[in-house]
Amino acid sequence: MFRKLIVAFATVLCSATLLAQTGGVKGTVVNRSGRMPVQGAAVTLSLNGEKVASGNAGTDGKFLFEGLENGIYQMTVKAEGFNDVNVNVTVEGGFVKDLIFVSMVSTQTVKDVDDSSFIEFDMDDSGYTDNPAILFGSNDPYNNVAGYGFSAIRFKNRGYNNETQDVYLSGVKMNEAMTGYSPYSLWSGLNEATRSKETTIGNESSDCGVGGYNGITNILANPAAVRPGWRFSVLTNSALYRLRLMANYASGELDNGLSYAINVSARLGGNDWIKGVYYRSFAYYAGVEKKINDVHRITAYTFAAPGQRGAQNASTQEVYDLMGDNMYNSNWGYQNGKVRNARVRRTFEPVFVMKYTATPSDDLEASATFLYRTGFNGYSALDWYDAADPRPDYYRNLPSYYYLEDPDYGRQNLGKSLWANEMWTNRSSSYAKYQHIDWDRLYNVNYNSEGGRSKYALEERHVDQNDINLSGNVKWRASSLFTLTGGVDFKWNRTENYKVIKDLLGGQYYVDIDQFAERDFASSEALVQNDLDYWLQNGRKAQKVDVGDIYGYDYFAHIRRAGLWANGQFTVGGFTGNIALNAGYDSFWREGLVRKGLFAGLDDNGNEIVVDGKTLTTYDSNGKVITSKGKSDVARFFTYRAKLGAAYVFKGGHRISLNAGYFNDAPTFNQSFVSPRTRNTLTPNLTTQKTISTDLSYQFSNNGYNVRVTGFWTKIMDQTDMMSFYDDSQNSFTNFAMSGIDQRHAGIEVGAKIPLPLQGLSLSAVVSWGEYIYTSNPRMTQTIDNSSEVIFDNQEVPYWKSHPIYKRVTLEDGTKVFDVDVDGNPIVEKQQKHYVPSTPQLATHLALNYRTNSYWFFEINGQFYANSYLDMNPLYRTQMAVAGPDGIASPTEIEYMAAQEKFAPVFLLNASAGKSWYFQRKYNFGFSLELKNITNNRNVKTGGYEQTRLIDGAGADRYYRFDPKYFYMSGINYMLNIYFRF
Amino acid sequence: MKKSLYIFIALAAMALTACEEFGPVFTGKYKNPEPTEDWIPVELEPTHTIAQLAAMYETGKPWQIDKDIIIAGKVSTTDKPGNFYKSFYIQDGTGGMEIKVGKNGLYNDYLPGQTVYINCNGLSLGMYGYKSGNYGGNGMVQIGYEDPTGEYETAYIENSFIINDHIFKGEYGDPVTPTVITEADLPSKNGTLSSCKYIGTLVTLKGLKYADQAFALLYLDSNKNTKESSNRIFLSDKRWGITTWAMSESKMKEYLYSGIWDSVNIGNANDYNYGTVADRRVVDSETGAVSYPGIEKAAYSVSQYFTMGSTEIQIRTSGYSKFADTEIDPEVLEGRKTIDATGILTLYQGSIQFILLDITGVEVVD
Repeated sequence: MFRKLIVAFATVLCSATLLAQTGGVKGTVVNRSGRMPVQGAAVTLSLNGEKVASGNAGTDGKFLFEGLENGIYQMTVKAEGFNDVNVNVTVEGGFVKDLIFVSMVSTQTVKDVDDSSFIEFDMDDSGYTDNPAILFGSNDPYNNVAGYGFSAIRFKNRGYNNETQDVYLSGVKMNEAMTGYSPYSLWSGLNEATRSKETTIGNESSDCGVGGYNGITNILANPAAVRPGWRFSVLTNSALYRLRLMANYASGELDNGLSYAINVSARLGGNDWIKGVYYRSFAYYAGVEKKINDVHRITAYTFAAPGQRGAQNASTQEVYDLMGDNMYNSNWGYQNGKVRNARVRRTFEPVFVMKYTATPSDDLEASATFLYRTGFNGYSALDWYDAADPRPDYYRNLPSYYYLEDPDYGRQNLGKSLWANEMWTNRSSSYAKYQHIDWDRLYNVNYNSEGGRSKYALEERHVDQNDINLSGNVKWRASSLFTLTGGVDFKWNRTENYKVIKDLLGGQYYVDIDQFAERDFASSEALVQNDLDYWLQNGRKAQKVDVGDIYGYDYFAHIRRAGLWANGQFTVGGFTGNIALNAGYDSFWREGLVRKGLFAGLDDNGNEIVVDGKTLTTYDSNGKVITSKGKSDVARFFTYRAKLGAAYVFKGGHRISLNAGYFNDAPTFNQSFVSPRTRNTLTPNLTTQKTISTDLSYQFSNNGYNVRVTGFWTKIMDQTDMMSFYDDSQNSFTNFAMSGIDQRHAGIEVGAKIPLPLQGLSLSAVVSWGEYIYTSNPRMTQTIDNSSEVIFDNQEVPYWKSHPIYKRVTLEDGTKVFDVDVDGNPIVEKQQKHYVPSTPQLATHLALNYRTNSYWFFEINGQFYANSYLDMNPLYRTQMAVAGPDGIASPTEIEYMAAQEKFAPVFLLNASAGKSWYFQRKYNFGFSLELKNITNNRNVKTGGYEQTRLIDGAGADRYYRFDPKYFYMSGINYMLNIYFRF
Repeated sequence: MKKSLYIFIALAAMALTACEEFGPVFTGKYKNPEPTEDWIPVELEPTHTIAQLAAMYETGKPWQIDKDIIIAGKVSTTDKPGNFYKSFYIQDGTGGMEIKVGKNGLYNDYLPGQTVYINCNGLSLGMYGYKSGNYGGNGMVQIGYEDPTGEYETAYIENSFIINDHIFKGEYGDPVTPTVITEADLPSKNGTLSSCKYIGTLVTLKGLKYADQAFALLYLDSNKNTKESSNRIFLSDKRWGITTWAMSESKMKEYLYSGIWDSVNIGNANDYNYGTVADRRVVDSETGAVSYPGIEKAAYSVSQYFTMGSTEIQIRTSGYSKFADTEIDPEVLEGRKTIDATGILTLYQGSIQFILLDITGVEVVD
């Protein structure tokens, strides 16, 4: 292939003026979104405005010009369906400059000066976060910023949840079967192998599926799509982990049709800001691909990112203030003087992929993919039995527990409060045991425990998947006017959820009983058993568990999913349109593997379970048996999605596009059981989630200007949600199963890149401004894992979508009181809306970029975020919580209890610089350095949650909230990436 | 070219060696801490006996201890079976005293039989359960922390820092052996450690005969004012069908739903204006299920009345204790058998309240 090209350019070579020392340019023209070759692209080189050479890229996208004299050339690449690319290329020293990839942008998206052919910025794999806000690979000016630049603040594009992003791997949808989350962590650390991707935004469809309303990303990950050659990099950053080492090799397609690639990496160490957070993660990727002939191609690859990392915990503002540090992490403590984190995620989830692709003709391509995912995913936490709460920031350890100024809190012990204050604010090392987990004490309690029974232990909660996917895709270009893509997919998933003892912390064993139940059901030992069958079969002794033994709970989540889809695209002149349809069938059920005493259900013969004359079997309010073991009812849903799209390209680089979709999606397993750890009971009112969404975009791209403006409107209806919190008053998880949640997301997003008069200097601006609100009052069922009592049974949450603000009047003496109408009732002035939380609803970014012809780049940017809200807890929006023990909801109580916290606006300043060098035609060495949050703003809340507990007022007429817990963004931090490739 | 490769390697090496995080985090192995040795700070020599300290208490006047008083004693109780809650008793030869520590699972940190030193300066000495008048009498002198609300004479200490600054662990030892005492050894209703050295200590009372009377105080809603007469239900003067030492939530429901309490009045004895328990009884017309909405289903403490000779002994047990629902031997209830009981001897409003450490403290005698 390469030789052919050289021949093709023979004429060019001959006509070029040959000097004593001549160099050249080579590279591969690829589709920017996916790095797929663009065959036949027309490449033209000019020097000082004069055309010097021209030619066409081969079918593999490669081109080569040789015999060029030193100088700065303007290279223009043109291809049907793509925007023109203009690149400056410096030829010097007689070398053939390898541009590696020249990326072309489909006319469907906006053109941009292509960064990657100049320098490998690698800003999108800086290691700052495993979860980019959006996973866009395109060079749309909005997406580039929103995807990476906004990730530190945990920006959610258009306010949508993470699970709305459809993430595909080689055409197989990878979103987690149980939760729908996008599974970035599966391949984190494999940036090179997963770099090539195809993306769409909003309601657009893609070649691998109809998709939802928050875009589709398809990561190619096949060896032939990995950038050929060797690449090594070292990255260090101060915000997450200290060091990343990465090595990559890809063969590219060899003459025999074989391609192979490997990618390995290690991410290690802690960071400057959050103690206890560390990585000890590795990753590997290995793949091979064989192009048998022009028709058949077989691909196989496998990868995994095994390792562990310490997690961060949210604390209340009181704790952060006492510690003088908003990045305080309560998850760790000293053990023998060493930092140990109690909450460690440990995973090894290998993925195996086999893909067969057939291209019987130029117009027809079909593929079949098999993907298997297995392994384990564990997350550790402290567990304890009949012993004091070991968490340092437990609310009873805080000054506020002893004293609050308002006497109605009933916390008036100032003396104790001052002691507690001293305990938190004294920085000498002997106080560390109060401010962090006191591991040494936990061990000593276990040493002293009778019979070696551990009172404290580390548990590891497992979510271990076996996930089999089959997917078939076909693309048929029926004519120049019409292309049809379509496919079928099937998923089989069985996820085992359980916990094991990870560490007995110096003890000999832990006992598998439910201690909360033990407190409430002292009279029946059977009721407190986590594994009743074991207890009955083993002489009425609860199991003593050792390290690695399963205890607590153990169940399978079974998920089956099948779908069929098609997308027809029409192209007439400047007009393109598409219609896409998807139909699917989702089913899932729970299969309990142990029988819990509290939810014993029926025995294997369908009889009630009676122990010592006492019937353990219980029934719900509908007369249905409540059971923990065996198969639950199967939840079945028919799902469908329909989309329409149209776009028109005007002369002069203007494009208008309109997309709309209707989605009828199944709820996920995790949203569908009232207490999945303990019983088979499905959430009431379980139904599909309906979404209607539309977006309208205007794009302009000309003379280096690059602008996109999009307006979007989405209404999501009938969502279900399950929130599960650890409630220390119950010493158990409490679950809020909500149904009928409606949301409306409307807004605009703007991305603009504007060249400035100085060559290489440009300005870019991004705005995302929306209103994401709740529009319904859902219903809620509250349960506690360790109790059969249903605390709220499918009751409305009346202050969820909004709460009233009452009219006030100022009396003559200056005091403000609530105004009342003639009947003496308070007057509602307005309804305060409640917002979709945990993302700024206004996010802006203004950057100045400068690039030199010698491959330097600089950027400085400022970001402003506002209208971000705290996640709401449904309990505080119930009539019960608002009214208080006396049952009377006063205006003061409503405004206090139902209100939603709005975070303060944030300004951030960031800067970056980089440079790359080329040596001896083939070596490329470069670095990029980024400084984030230069003003060292340490007061940026990125999220958090409300606690689900109430404080009784001393007057017994109202409740107070517990303080919410927050996560904060790191202060000033750097990232330095050095790479070397050849 | 080579230079850049060296820089690359050097940077990698620097990053690896420069950071403290590559300790146990890297290997994932943590060494178990050494067991903490028993230790007694040298300056902690007891300055007072428990009886001497108790004698410093003046009725009705909680004392914020401002003198360097150190007492010592062996831990005589355990909160493991749940009948003691957030506190333990210590005793020396002169008597016993409750230390209101205010934490769960204290037996994990203060082992029964372990010597404990209390640096009292900064803590509070007060009495719980004193009632004046002819029907009243003394309660128990305790050590806790100042309660500025005045609701109680002392509050729980609760805060780990105060606890560790005042309560010091000494050597481990054998659990305290109970003293067998006679009726003559029992305190009078105004008894103190000066007159009866067994108050607050672990004793065995022999030959207790059931007095066919139980006592429990139930609430309609404990989230509301529990002092309000309309929120209270007294089970007293009779046995009320209670055959257990106390009642867990499920046992309480069982008693309530059986209807045996239907005739009980709601309200204080002088204020029966709120109807009876039966008024709350609701029978579902379809299922026939019985419920009592508006009466709080919870664990409740029960006092079971016994006599030792002619002295009344209330054996009081928490509804949260693990033996709350243990049935009292029917022959004991019928008065055909007596019991020997081992527990802490306390006074509450002049009455003897006896608190079992565990159900093993009850021995049925033929």
